[in-house]
Amino acid sequence: MTQLRRRGKSGQILLIAAFLAASLLLSAELYVFDVGRFSGEVESVSLSDFVLAVKLGSRHVVVGSLANVSNGGSGSVLELNLQGWASVVGEWYQFGKGVLNYTLMDAAPYSSGVWLYWGTGGYGVSSAYASFTHQLSGQGITADQSYSMNITSSVFVESVFQRIGGNRKRVNVTVDALNEAEPALAEQLVIYYRLLGVWVTPGAGSGYTLFDYGNGTYLASFEVIIPAITVEISTHVVDGRGIYVSANATSVET
Amino acid sequence: MFNQKGQIRIIEAFLSVAVIFSVVLVSVTFPFSPNLARQRSLTVIGTQALMELDNNGTLGSLIAQENWTLIKESLGILLPVGVAFNLTVYDESELPVNSVIIQNSDLLGGGSVSVRYVCATQSQVVRFFVLRLQLAWAG
Repeated sequence: MTQLRRRGKSGQILLIAAFLAASLLLSAELYVFDVGRFSGEVESVSLSDFVLAVKLGSRHVVVGSLANVSNGGSGSVLELNLQGWASVVGEWYQFGKGVLNYTLMDAAPYSSGVWLYWGTGGYGVSSAYASFTHQLSGQGITADQSYSMNITSSVFVESVFQRIGGNRKRVNVTVDALNEAEPALAEQLVIYYRLLGVWVTPGAGSGYTLFDYGNGTYLASFEVIIPAITVEISTHVVDGRGIYVSANATSVET
Repeated sequence: MFNQKGQIRIIEAFLSVAVIFSVVLVSVTFPFSPNLARQRSLTVIGTQALMELDNNGTLGSLIAQENWTLIKESLGILLPVGVAFNLTVYDESELPVNSVIIQNSDLLGGGSVSVRYVCATQSQVVRFFVLRLQLAWAG
């Protein structure tokens, strides 16, 4: 009889144990869900987004470096800045190994990735050129992205003058500013002419006017008193990115 | 009598198995990450907003100028209505740069995502920053 009672109870115990196991499983499940829900900040910058952000940053570094060099900075600035950028990019890639390699253009006319040509023939250029290879590996994914950055600010200058009377001349200067061969607005535009071997800006009495066509083309007009048969013009431009470029031209009579 | 006991035990065993089985079934079908799709979309939205702001160098410029108000306003415009954000800017040494909190509201505990973004200024003195943008659907 006692054995029969024990047998009967053992079935109930099995049921109770099953309920206990079930409630344990459920509570564990709820706990995991709860923890995952409230502390699960998802660190999920996708690979393509990261590559695009780095590409954008690489462009900014090249632009900033060219702005520095063209404004009188050291020629090694581009190299130093890219070193720093590559280091930051490598350190902050969280999902594996990220390596950003760069190569500065050293073929003529570039030197250490920079080409500055501020000519006398009405054309000036400030340019920086670097190639990049961005390698990413981790989480079972390997990506290899190569791209080049060619940042070029250029300026074209043409000038003519009309003799007004005696040595007085009205000079017209047309300036075209370009970024990567596309019309671009200038942040600063200063025009000089050479008077007795010295570069001077048109004074208050010169009737200086500057017309902005709004498409990267500017027309400056002013009067000078110069005995020479030509007028030498120098145009200094700082574009919207802070890159300096200048070009000299000779104004001829129309 | 003996047979009836045996049947009851079999029923009890079946019940036990049924209980355990149903719990396992619930576990398998339980939504571990109910908002995963929404979190992924938040990540994309956040990254795109930062890239949009960084496109012409504005982001780096605003950070260099420590114009936190304008950064907050810009993010408020670029991010959809109903997205709460909190931005922290770090320098190369991983030290926070922003002196004020850049957020539009308190992030609600669950389902927040964190976007990490590296950026460089376009200025003559190039500086590097790392941004951590936390996002959550408000409400």
